[in-house]
Amino acid sequence: MSKRSLIEIARWIALLGVLVVLLFPLFWIIASSLKARGEFFTRPPVWIPSHPEWSNYPDSLQRGGMKGLTDSFTIAFCSMAVSIVLGAPAAYAIARFQVGKKNLAFWILSIRMFPPIATILPLFVIFRFAGLVDSYAGLVLCYTVFNLPFAIWILKGFIEDLPKEIEEAAKVDGATRFQIFRNIALPLTAPGLVVVALFTFIFAWNDFAYAVIFSGSNVTPLPVVIAQFAGGHEILWGQISAAAIMAILPALILATFLQKYLTRGLTMGAVK
Amino acid sequence: MKRAAHLLAAGFGAVVWTSAAVAADLPSFNHVTVTVVGDAGQNMEALNKYADDFTKAGITIKQVGATFTGLYDKLKTSFVAGSSDYDMVIFYPSYIGDFAGNGYLAPLDEYMKKQPAAIWDPKMDEVMPPYREIYCKWEGKTYALPYDGDVLVLYYRKDLFNNPDEKAAFQKKYGRELAPPATWKEWLQVAEFFTRKAGDTLAGQKLSRPFYGAAEYGARGFSYGWFLSRFASSDGIYFDENMNPEINTDAAVAGLQNMVDTLKFSPPDVLSYGYEELKNAFLNGDLAMVVQWSDVGKKTADPQLSKIVGKAGFAVVPGTEANGKVVHKAPMPVGRVLAVSAKSKNKEAAYWVAKYLSLDKSPITVAANWSGQDPYRLSHFTDTSHYKFPDEASVKEYVAAVEENLKNGFPDLNIPGAAQYIDALDVAVIKALSGEADPKTALDGVAEDWKGITQRLGADTQKKFWNAALESYRAAGLLK
Amino acid sequence: MDRTKHRDRTFARFMVGPAVTLLFLVTIGPLLFSLAVSFTNLQFSTPQPMRWVGIDNYSTLLFNDSRFLSAMGRTLVFVLAGVVIQTLLGFFIASLLLKVQRYRAFLLGPILIPSVISSVVAAWQGRMIFNASYGPLNDVLAHIGIKGPAWLALPQTALVSVFLTDTWQWTPFLALIILAALQSQPLELLEAARLDGARGWSMFRRITLPLILPVAGVGVLLRGVDLFKTFDLVYILTQGGPGNSSETLTFLTYLQGFKFFNPSYASAMSFIQLIVITIVAKSYLGLMNKRGAI
Repeated sequence: MSKRSLIEIARWIALLGVLVVLLFPLFWIIASSLKARGEFFTRPPVWIPSHPEWSNYPDSLQRGGMKGLTDSFTIAFCSMAVSIVLGAPAAYAIARFQVGKKNLAFWILSIRMFPPIATILPLFVIFRFAGLVDSYAGLVLCYTVFNLPFAIWILKGFIEDLPKEIEEAAKVDGATRFQIFRNIALPLTAPGLVVVALFTFIFAWNDFAYAVIFSGSNVTPLPVVIAQFAGGHEILWGQISAAAIMAILPALILATFLQKYLTRGLTMGAVK
Repeated sequence: MKRAAHLLAAGFGAVVWTSAAVAADLPSFNHVTVTVVGDAGQNMEALNKYADDFTKAGITIKQVGATFTGLYDKLKTSFVAGSSDYDMVIFYPSYIGDFAGNGYLAPLDEYMKKQPAAIWDPKMDEVMPPYREIYCKWEGKTYALPYDGDVLVLYYRKDLFNNPDEKAAFQKKYGRELAPPATWKEWLQVAEFFTRKAGDTLAGQKLSRPFYGAAEYGARGFSYGWFLSRFASSDGIYFDENMNPEINTDAAVAGLQNMVDTLKFSPPDVLSYGYEELKNAFLNGDLAMVVQWSDVGKKTADPQLSKIVGKAGFAVVPGTEANGKVVHKAPMPVGRVLAVSAKSKNKEAAYWVAKYLSLDKSPITVAANWSGQDPYRLSHFTDTSHYKFPDEASVKEYVAAVEENLKNGFPDLNIPGAAQYIDALDVAVIKALSGEADPKTALDGVAEDWKGITQRLGADTQKKFWNAALESYRAAGLLK
Repeated sequence: MDRTKHRDRTFARFMVGPAVTLLFLVTIGPLLFSLAVSFTNLQFSTPQPMRWVGIDNYSTLLFNDSRFLSAMGRTLVFVLAGVVIQTLLGFFIASLLLKVQRYRAFLLGPILIPSVISSVVAAWQGRMIFNASYGPLNDVLAHIGIKGPAWLALPQTALVSVFLTDTWQWTPFLALIILAALQSQPLELLEAARLDGARGWSMFRRITLPLILPVAGVGVLLRGVDLFKTFDLVYILTQGGPGNSSETLTFLTYLQGFKFFNPSYASAMSFIQLIVITIVAKSYLGLMNKRGAI
């Protein structure tokens, strides 16, 4: 066998190894979501449950998972909508009119670098006075703060890539600036909007730090519900795993079907 | 004037008492929703089990679950935020000073006196004094009703301790009879004696997996309770009367050393053991002895949970010998009480739900396996008909052990700021257990931390709170 | 012309207005508030009046609080190790993928899954996988004759477990960035270098590294900042324990703020963190700049 094909084989073995390591935890949590109570405490561990215990799914939904799903969805969706509605015009203005020069753009980016804990605390005190603790609006606001810079940054990149000529032609035809933005620039940025919509949704959907502090009886996003399955007297591993599977569904869909948008979103536009 | 305001408030809460309309022991509210917060799982199960009764009384219960270790944060956050979302709160009584002292809870005395007594009186005089005085009162007023009387109990494997071969071997090795350890010194010997490798013989059986003498609560959160069982029995107390920490005395260091030494006879991953792991290790038949909360006793008798049904013995937590006398102390970490939020708009209904759980249904709750609740009323000890043990002798032994431990109860620190003091202690205990620091250094660190916390929270007020706490320990008969 | 410019500016301001106002209100506002609080003794444990204490909180933290200082050291090591190891692993995976032409897109999807799922899920997985008695990791290790440690229960391995979980989750992200950078390497340059006799390490250092730095640099910065902020994993995997062996800065700040309810102290803590992040990020950017990378 030639040296070349040996290298080829070694490469595939290495890739296979990488895949196994990266996907094994997912396999484990899927298997766990189908285990019966006793199967979590055996030595050696049960790798594949003998009789899939499907009831973990309805059970976790019934123990608050359903509310978790709908709450998470509501909040993530609202935060996504607000981020786009506010982010798109801002990105357009920054890209086309250089408003605030470089400083504004960098300030916006730097907000994403803050440790959330630095703002959670004062936000909490402010929310307390504004009655926003344990409300949908409160969490939507929190997520918008870290989603908006992302939306602006990504869309700015997309708009900068658009040829200016079409917009200039429209201007000559007498369109107002806002019409140009709405009727020409915005439709052309559609792929950017898709990226932003997906990722702002996922970021809000995935968050735990804000959720655990600002949620309560009215609002309990899914990650918080999962944490509640770990009681003082018993950790409901089956239900936790089932809820976790439901929690990663949006991300799985993203990774499978919308892969071409994945790169740009994950890298905040650094990779086009 | 104030009275009138209260009456008005009561009217606003839509309470209609119609004695003729319903069964004698249920009030009749007009569609009131009571939001209850507590640690999710078996400690809120009672709300489901008795849901029909609440419905009959015109009350809808809305449950909010927190995690076991996150309950305090959740409640405190909501209290600090001044929200009125929660009507009834279930919490661990070491926070009574924090919650009542900051005015988050409604005093209950007024509701307790309401007529007819069959509906409103929680029969506090029937509650075991430690729980009544320390769990429920703050600065002379009652702010909470007991719900879960937690005290640590020594569990051991009766079958092994009574095995003739083992008895003979122990006699030969240590020159005394094999028995549940009376002191922490004996505890180490017994733990050492029973620790076996896979393949060794235990009570005539060849072991397929290792067997361990004992285990401790090694995870973060309540590890300190297992240290307290040593610390308190050597006459330790958290502070002197001037709030100077007394947590690093020589006796305290020796106590912590004893706990560290126990790890030699414990499973290798004992530092990750919380309540569940510690319980499972014993119920799986992997341990000869364990100190655990009182509810574990009931679980040993449940074949669904336990592989050692009928084999568990219950005894007093070991003590420390001084001047020829053995002092026993059983810490009372966690526990649960029911209280009414000061901001609640349905205080009366919330109070009644609390009272119903704390009194009327409590004999069933504390005896059941689906609950995490443990006995706290005299009647829970005298009327044992609800407990499900394989035989009458076990019930008697169990109840007697819990009662005896409670007599030696050692309370959790319950002054405002308790969460910080206890966290500092807990971290230090675990550092000693994991070998990161030796017991002396670890406890000296706690004393320093505690001084800092007191300073930060205001030395004068803290001192006042501490002396009030000491007073309540005395009132409960736990301190001379 | 001037009028158009003026109108442009008005329009632009109108467009960014809402977003900037919102961001300002919910970031700068709270930050100033938090800064003010950090100079007081505000706490919610006892009903004590609040008063100004000057820089007491800061001086206590920096000179007297060994728990804080060790959390700081631990966090910096965590960030540094994370950035270095994850970048190297990412580079390894990227260079594997670079040579695979046909199935690359097919492979990329599954590889990226960890980076898009919730860290909460990653953490719960971690708790099962690292479980010393019932977890699969030690089971696998036992099969190859290694006695696995009690991962989450030992001070030596608790933070390592957090680290491994984070690395599992975020190495694919770095691989993706580095792959993109590698793909953008102009072939002529590589060929020219090869003709010059550059091989292996010197080729990497002289050609590949300068080429991938600008893109990878951003990714590494993002990763560094996120590593600094690690909270969810610690909260769910170890709660900072055993002892405080896995207490990161953000977790300790959380404890002070939301367990001990000392907002003043916690605020001072977060400001020190903010300053450290800024200094580290700035000097990193400066370094990149000097190498002409960004």
